[in-house]
Amino acid sequence: MKKTIITLMAAMAIATAGCDKIDINNTHKPYTPTGGSKTVLIKDFTGARCVNCPEAADYAHELQHRLGEDRIFILSVHAGYLATPTGQFPDFLTDEGTAWYNNHDSNPLFSVDHVALTDGNTLNVEQIDTPVADALAEPQSFDITVENTYDESSRKLDVKSEVKAVTDYEGQLYVSYCLVEDSIVGWQIIPGGMDREYVFRNVFRGTLNGADGEPLPSNHVFVEDTFAFTHSMTLDSTYNADQCYILSYVSDNSKNGKILQTAMQKVK
Amino acid sequence: MQKHILLVTVLALIGFGASAQSFLENSQVNGSFQTDAQYYMLDKGIDITDLNGKKFGINGFGKVNYTNGNFSAGIRFEAFLPEMNGFRSELNGVGLANFYATYDNGFIGVTVGDIYDQFGSGLVFRTYEEWSLGMDNALRGARVVLRPTNGVTIKGVYGRQRFFWAPYLEREMSADDYRGIVRGADAEWDLNQSIPSMNDSKFRMSLGGSFVSKKQADQSLFYYIPENVGAAAARLNLGYGNWAFSTEYAYKINDPSAINNFIYKEGQALMASLSYSQKGFGAVLQVKRTDNMSFKSMYTGKQNDLDINFIPPINYTHTHSLPSMYTYSTQPNGEMAAQLQVNYTIPKGTALGGKYGTKLAFNMSQVNDIVRDSIMDNGQMVINKKGSLGYASDFFAISKHRFFRDINFEIDKRINKDWHVNAQYINLYYDIETIEGHAGAPVVQANIGFVDVTYKINKKQSLRLELQGLWENEVHKGYEVEESEKKDYQKRGDWAAALLEYTISPHWSFSIADKWNYGNPVEEYRDHYFTGTVTYIHDATRVMLSGGRQSEGVVCVGGVCRTVPASSGVTLTVSTSF
Repeated sequence: MKKTIITLMAAMAIATAGCDKIDINNTHKPYTPTGGSKTVLIKDFTGARCVNCPEAADYAHELQHRLGEDRIFILSVHAGYLATPTGQFPDFLTDEGTAWYNNHDSNPLFSVDHVALTDGNTLNVEQIDTPVADALAEPQSFDITVENTYDESSRKLDVKSEVKAVTDYEGQLYVSYCLVEDSIVGWQIIPGGMDREYVFRNVFRGTLNGADGEPLPSNHVFVEDTFAFTHSMTLDSTYNADQCYILSYVSDNSKNGKILQTAMQKVK
Repeated sequence: MQKHILLVTVLALIGFGASAQSFLENSQVNGSFQTDAQYYMLDKGIDITDLNGKKFGINGFGKVNYTNGNFSAGIRFEAFLPEMNGFRSELNGVGLANFYATYDNGFIGVTVGDIYDQFGSGLVFRTYEEWSLGMDNALRGARVVLRPTNGVTIKGVYGRQRFFWAPYLEREMSADDYRGIVRGADAEWDLNQSIPSMNDSKFRMSLGGSFVSKKQADQSLFYYIPENVGAAAARLNLGYGNWAFSTEYAYKINDPSAINNFIYKEGQALMASLSYSQKGFGAVLQVKRTDNMSFKSMYTGKQNDLDINFIPPINYTHTHSLPSMYTYSTQPNGEMAAQLQVNYTIPKGTALGGKYGTKLAFNMSQVNDIVRDSIMDNGQMVINKKGSLGYASDFFAISKHRFFRDINFEIDKRINKDWHVNAQYINLYYDIETIEGHAGAPVVQANIGFVDVTYKINKKQSLRLELQGLWENEVHKGYEVEESEKKDYQKRGDWAAALLEYTISPHWSFSIADKWNYGNPVEEYRDHYFTGTVTYIHDATRVMLSGGRQSEGVVCVGGVCRTVPASSGVTLTVSTSF
């Protein structure tokens, strides 16, 4: 009898030690991003016919909300087979997005500051936490300012931008300008059916200077060096200018296109 | 860890005092080797216009086991150079995949190295290796088995699971292959063995219980992840005469993971089986309910790896090519399933039984989703929201969402000493969107049938003919498939298949086969998949060479599946055992 009691007590002790019960009212961790001004770009390769994409997008936005909406930007790049429009599904395909997607065969896929993208790999949404936190902790190398001038009647958009080095840097430096439209309503497959009024966030509409952007005049820059860029475009008549943004980033092609800094500015 | 295990193995050998000579004198050695190699070719006919730089795929293994009295040891070497198409790319590599050493004197058994074991039906713990899936979730560590008295077995296991070629040492938490430690215990009591008066009783009874826990560090930035997740199970087996009943219930504590969308709901599973058998008749009824029972040693994992437990499927396993095209894959987040299997042999000497008897079999299995209701979370009604309890689910409620149904009837008849016929009809419902992830693709509803006839030409030679057909009830009849939807329609629609096999016993077999997707809604997919195969068998050695096309599909074993892409080329399989 004594042996049985001891055995049962030992079993209960092992079972107790083997289980951690989390308080359901306290499942979220407080998180404070490390200091600094480095911004981070998450590219979300998605598709309107991808059933798992809305959930992944929610996760990325939750990440943005929790870690800092002023320091994390999300670009929803519709690319791949599940983004190819059929029937009433919206057409958000772009040549540049297809080039970035680089023949991957599934959605959703992610890159964080282009890490694990240009070498042929991508991240699943569950894998982006640590790269985002790591990227936020990196030192800032550049500062980007964007000034948009939009003419309502002609729908012409003029973009003036400055890229300023905040530290000495050597690499193969490029700057890219992308048009983003937020809050587009359309058809999206969701688990268990179809959402005909799904709100697509931060939809990539194309670039103003090509899939790879354009090179900075110098690959070896020194602190305070400043480079100016101007671009113009006419907004497609179907785009809602009130919800459009210019997203800009500086990347280093000597590091597989790693993005060094990102900025975003409303068109209006 | 690896060095430690090797050291323990060597010490064990020395400790048991086995001199080199006696160690060899009473020993037994057995093992097996297998190599599967594929040479891939371009084939515009089935849309293979790019091999992506991969002309060859070779999977191979060799294992050797040594036994001497109470001691046994073994190794398993594997090579994937590179892995064949359809296998996980992480397999690419070569090396010693598994090793073990065991001492077992009947009272105590100790194993160090890679452990394959199962508690009960596996609902809380099962490690196994399945070559055809490229799957191996062995636990590298230690196991102790105690048998203190007749009919009582107590087991304890401890270790870290295999994850392709990832190191077993403690890893950085940020490493992609970071996974936790698994520890578990199981006890089983067979009353018929323990209690002398029950030794020969018609009434049979055994009880069992298990507890398994994984320890994985919390890597999440956002959620408090339980570092110790425990799962427990209790089981009961009863029998009386021709009747047998078994059941097992499992419970898992909060285990937020990528599979369940980081919800904190507990997991539950219940399985039960009732069977009756007598000469010429057998029937089995099985039911199963699982809810949030995926249990992995890496909570961020989403694929078929690092599973600590196993959810047994209760579906008929088809072996012919067309019926097995749509095999059910267990849904880890929850399912309600039932299966009835009835076998009856019409006796010899009756009008329908003839000289040899006639075997009849009926099987029906169906799997539906569980019901998930919204719950209140921070003042809002939510369902499956991250960081919440997820949902509420009535234990006995069945969702209208049907994943799978298979109703089949089989007849197996030896007509005379030369002719043997086997035929089966299958009515299938297969939710391809849920099971294979083809978003928006229509459900497969099909009638499938085959006839398999063997004619014995003489004592050494025989001919076997298979004729199969698959007819889908609805595949967007009359609907013109748009260009972008085509990928979802590969393998869809009606099929016909035939195989002719000529066997010269005991060594040779030759076969030619064709599968024709003649009813595919997409005209360019109405392809033939020809294959020719030559097999040579010598004792325990088998060499098989085949050439031709392989259609896209899934290979499933025990409800666990991998996707096989379409290919064209030559396949060589060589296997032997000793």
